[in-house]
Amino acid sequence: MPTHPAPPLLEGRGLTKTYRLGAVDVPALRSVSVAIPGGDFVVLEGPSGSGKTTLLNLLGLLDRPDQGSVSWEGEPLDGLSEDERSDLRRDRFGFVFQSYNLIPVLSAAENVELPMFLRGMAAAPRRSRARDLLAAVGLEDKGRVRPDLLSGGQRQRVAIARALANEARILVADEPTASLDSVTAGEILDLLLQLHTERGVACIVATHDSRIRARAQRVLALRDGRLEDAVA
Amino acid sequence: MTLGAIALRNVARNRRRSLLSGGVVMFGFVALTLAGGFMSQSFEALREGTIRGGTGHLQLADPGWFREGGGVETLEHGLADAHRVASRLSVEPAVAQVLRRIDFYGLLTDGERTVPFAGHGLDPAAEARTMDLPGLVIAGRWMVDRDAHEAVLGSGLAAALGVGPGDVVTLLAVTTDGVLNAVDVEIAGVARLPVRELDDRYLATSLGAADRLLEARGEVSKLVVTLHDASRVEQTGERLRLALAREGFVVEVRSWEELAVFYRQVRQLYLGMFGFLGLVLAAIVLLATANSMLMTVAERTREIGTLRALGTRSRRVARLFLAEGLLLGVLGCLAGASFSLALSWVLNRSGIMLPPPPGVAHPIPLHIDLVLTAYVGGAATMLVTVLVASWLPARRAARRSIVEALAHV
Repeated sequence: MPTHPAPPLLEGRGLTKTYRLGAVDVPALRSVSVAIPGGDFVVLEGPSGSGKTTLLNLLGLLDRPDQGSVSWEGEPLDGLSEDERSDLRRDRFGFVFQSYNLIPVLSAAENVELPMFLRGMAAAPRRSRARDLLAAVGLEDKGRVRPDLLSGGQRQRVAIARALANEARILVADEPTASLDSVTAGEILDLLLQLHTERGVACIVATHDSRIRARAQRVLALRDGRLEDAVA
Repeated sequence: MTLGAIALRNVARNRRRSLLSGGVVMFGFVALTLAGGFMSQSFEALREGTIRGGTGHLQLADPGWFREGGGVETLEHGLADAHRVASRLSVEPAVAQVLRRIDFYGLLTDGERTVPFAGHGLDPAAEARTMDLPGLVIAGRWMVDRDAHEAVLGSGLAAALGVGPGDVVTLLAVTTDGVLNAVDVEIAGVARLPVRELDDRYLATSLGAADRLLEARGEVSKLVVTLHDASRVEQTGERLRLALAREGFVVEVRSWEELAVFYRQVRQLYLGMFGFLGLVLAAIVLLATANSMLMTVAERTREIGTLRALGTRSRRVARLFLAEGLLLGVLGCLAGASFSLALSWVLNRSGIMLPPPPGVAHPIPLHIDLVLTAYVGGAATMLVTVLVASWLPARRAARRSIVEALAHV
């Protein structure tokens, strides 16, 4: 009796996206297929404009492809409503952005609490988990501090803690070290890898940072919206 | 953490803009409540002016008198049972006073010139206890005797005839039998009435003189009733009507508000002006708040993208901005209520006198009433306006593409 391999955690097939700039159509992604197994650490590399962010946006359900489809554990997500996609992002994805994107009126702990608040979790377990997550990223004493009083590296740590708040199955990180100095960038990279290893969370990271590339399990290279090769 | 708490922090964060938007709401609220309080005072003055100007709280007359305005002939619809009805009314605990009146038309002559007048036969002493008429006398005095052959003339009427206090004039009128009759009266005083048309024709004389002139034999045009409790005019009027009908009196009861056409017209005019003021203020608040909210949404585009990326449903993002708008509205109204109360307190103690409102003879002190309806209505107007103004920016925020919002610089 033939055995079927488990479907990948997240998969994009034939993803195509074209943006319109004025009267000109700019193809950002041309029929890209990619599969991310659970627990994998994948790096997306390529020059600016190669389509890394577009691919992350499509895989992270932040945007819809013109053609192609995204599926989660083999289940196609194309037919989901906006609200269903929002719920899926909230419950299964964690996002880390280049500019941290913390909510300025919330403290570090409240920023971490935010995804749990959106999920409807009660205040007490929410606060407790936020404390644990801040401790896990080395910021146990910064919970009450507003983002504007934190350094860039600290903000990115808060953003990573927030990404893990709802026990995301996959972290989608777009240039997470691009705004940081090399020392801090190295620390953030170590943190991402540590959390990936300890928690078994899959990561897909778009970056120019060669240090991340060197430590990835898989590197996908994009050029002009096409996948060039995959390096194991 | 709640949506309201996040909204509050955002409002506090953009302090200058929030102060501006909240200030506009506060201004609108203060303007509405002060206008409402001032209008209430004007209505009160007008109401008192109407009641104490001679209308009383209730009037009782033959049904034909109200229907046809007195008829063509003298006392055509007179109240023959006036004495019995007045006696019956005077035992009612709610009734403060019953005044008998004869309304009639005639000619006034000093022997050389003749002018028409609208006459009122009344009990001078009783009228002086309740009504403002004696206070309108500007020369001479009010009458004192119920049977004296005296008269008080409107200043316009006195000027038309060139007479004044102490002069003797002749009243000419048709009696109830249809015969022309004349009575000499001495002018006791000249009064200035607030409405010019009335002032040009007004003549008051004693009930006795009017009775003799018209040969009324105790019949009157109507009974004017004042009540102890002015807030229960309609109920008391209805109760009296039923009681009198049960006892066989053919008499109709009308409240002052039914009779005071002028009061109703002025009230409608004021309410229309108040409504227009409300619309103008709402438009100002709408534009200012919408502008402020649009700027807020534009500034926080990336934050909106982040919230959406983290899994916030679009409706919830819209609710956040609506909550911020509502919060500004509530804070503006609270500040407005405090400011309005303080300003009212100061103005009410300023001693500023205002020109007489329509139909009132004397200046009135400026007084801003505390009108709960104006506060509730003002708050409702402001909050609805702020919500409407926030709705479009909130909708825009909720519908923004996540990718575009995240890329916003």
